[in-house]
Amino acid sequence: MVACGAGEEREEAPAEGSTVGVTDDSVTIGAHFPLTGVAAPGYSEIPSGHQAYYDFVNANGGVHGRQIEFIVRDDAYNPTNTSQVTNELVLSDEIFAMVAGLGTATHSAVVDFLNGEEVPDLFVSSGSLQWGDAPADRPYTFGWQTDYESEGKIIGQWVAENMPDAKVGLFLQDDDFGRDGEKGARQFIEDQIVEVQRYQSGNTDVAPQIAALQAAGADVILGFNVPSYTALSQLTALRLNYKPTWFYSNVGSDPALVGSLLARFSEGAVTDGSRLLDGVLTTEYIPGVDAPDNPWMKLWQRVWDEHGGEGELTNYRVYGMSQAYTFVQALQAAGQDLTREGIVAAIEEHGGGFEGPALAPFRFSADSHMGISGMQVVRLQGGVGEELTPVLVTDIGDAPIEEDDSAAEDAPPDSGIPDQPAG
Amino acid sequence: MQQLITTVLTGLTLGAVYAAFALALVLIWRATRIVNFAQAPMAMITTYIALVLIDAGMSYWVGFAAALVSGLVLGALVERFVIRHLTGKSEINAVILTLGLFIVIHALAALIFGARYRSFPAPFGLRGFQVGDTTIALTGFGVFTILSVVGVMVLLVLLFRGTDVGLRMRASAFNQEMARLLGVRVGRMLTLGWALAAVVGSLSGLLIAGGGLVHPSYMDGVVVYGFVAAVLGGLDSPPGAVAGGVILGLSLSLVSGYVGSELVPLASLVILMAVLLVRPGGLFAQVRERRV
Repeated sequence: MVACGAGEEREEAPAEGSTVGVTDDSVTIGAHFPLTGVAAPGYSEIPSGHQAYYDFVNANGGVHGRQIEFIVRDDAYNPTNTSQVTNELVLSDEIFAMVAGLGTATHSAVVDFLNGEEVPDLFVSSGSLQWGDAPADRPYTFGWQTDYESEGKIIGQWVAENMPDAKVGLFLQDDDFGRDGEKGARQFIEDQIVEVQRYQSGNTDVAPQIAALQAAGADVILGFNVPSYTALSQLTALRLNYKPTWFYSNVGSDPALVGSLLARFSEGAVTDGSRLLDGVLTTEYIPGVDAPDNPWMKLWQRVWDEHGGEGELTNYRVYGMSQAYTFVQALQAAGQDLTREGIVAAIEEHGGGFEGPALAPFRFSADSHMGISGMQVVRLQGGVGEELTPVLVTDIGDAPIEEDDSAAEDAPPDSGIPDQPAG
Repeated sequence: MQQLITTVLTGLTLGAVYAAFALALVLIWRATRIVNFAQAPMAMITTYIALVLIDAGMSYWVGFAAALVSGLVLGALVERFVIRHLTGKSEINAVILTLGLFIVIHALAALIFGARYRSFPAPFGLRGFQVGDTTIALTGFGVFTILSVVGVMVLLVLLFRGTDVGLRMRASAFNQEMARLLGVRVGRMLTLGWALAAVVGSLSGLLIAGGGLVHPSYMDGVVVYGFVAAVLGGLDSPPGAVAGGVILGLSLSLVSGYVGSELVPLASLVILMAVLLVRPGGLFAQVRERRV
């Protein structure tokens, strides 16, 4: 019986596409995340957001009658492990698609394998450009969050317009993240940059870097760094009595996480750690826990209360739920007859019109697999982001930056489950 | 100019931490002729013990003392129940065993204390001292770091040169058979050597953690640089270890600030090669070919 069924499937496969991981009542997806190791703080919470939202959707009947089964494997943020766990997910667990695999270096190790195996590689949890700028080479891979180059452009333009006399220093992680951000920022503030310093992830002594920025007289520092280095740069600046204006990229600015690291060093003056980041500039592309009255946040809170695990709702869990929402939209758009080729085609065709929590629209099309197209600049005050600009939308390269609040007005449906028509 | 002063002072403080760790390696080397790579995670564990106590509301100094005492106990236990089984076997076996311990302790710490970054308090201010209008990059805690390392070095020199126990420890390390014949309780001396080394290691863990962030692998860089510092100084000499640590800390800080932070690990190895080419026994080598 089994052999017979498989034989039939194989005969149909060339016309219908691959249905690995799909049954009449379930679809199995997987992801690699750092559940242990130095990158685990924060990031390990993202899959719990995914799981909570899938549980919520499954409890309401799933998508086209299918329950979503989400398998998470731990790669400890080590690319060698990522290759191994991705092999397991694809070859042994037989997942339909990889959804939200996290990290630039880690995911780079498996992106060609996934495309070679023709496994949809959806909504990578990283802002690197490589997930979306060459869909001809990587037809199965899609980005999700605003890429670092577009973020650099938006930050650079804001500084050029609002602080035209500032001397700008760059504090960069020495990898794609820092390089992409620098490339975007340089389009607007090339002549304002007085010093560029890079840090090695893992080397926690950043005093030589901060001292060089101070010596160059930089009074605005753009930081493309991860949260622990936001804390380290603040501590070092405290030691040197250096008080520039700090502008951290979205990745490095989570006030709850950074605040908890800095709280101990406030010397008793301040009890709320997140206040130590008062006045810091950063960017946002989805609503977060600092806006509890936002309709999306009300939905995420409801989902977390009903289906969440232990702990509070955090920005990392919100990030996971927001990605999960996009994946459910993609499943709906792919229709009743789900195939790997079908979901890729559906995202290319309809993804640009997905309405979700993102402040700016997706750029998905046959020519681009880049994700969210913009963000807004905010100033942190008491752990809350105060909007300084409308949503600014752009693309990589020399695409212009334009105001576009259209996607920011999107509200979730009452059911909390998207209603994307099958394409 | 201020950048140079800042970079040098930062390097000096960092060098003191490397020196403390190098001292621990030298101590074990002098007492047992083994390089203990598990020193880093042992120090990490004791630092976490201090952090747990401080988080429970006790004063910094209670945590500080508890970390040193638990270092003493941990060092003795590791020697007595793990390393002792390799007595009489090749020394490389013990070195490999310490590498294994490195991994085991790491994994245990991640299980017990969690893998996330946590901040560790400092007993003194974290703002640099004011000189006139400028702030120099030396903090109260930096001064404490440098003074405690110098103090430990002096104590170790006194122990090995000036006391009976120190002489017996050296004798046990050089030739167990001969030492036993002369009435030295070799086993106890080895345990004592490991225990003291672990105390010094714990101190270096506390010094590098103070006013910064800790996670289970925060000492991993220190084990590399501490080892280089110890070898620079000849692996046998406490003042050599301190000099090696300071030289390394200063050079690496200057490289990081003026050349590029990506070259720091490379620079440490270049320095190591250069010193070993010129003086194969290390900068402060006093004995040559005294191995049995």
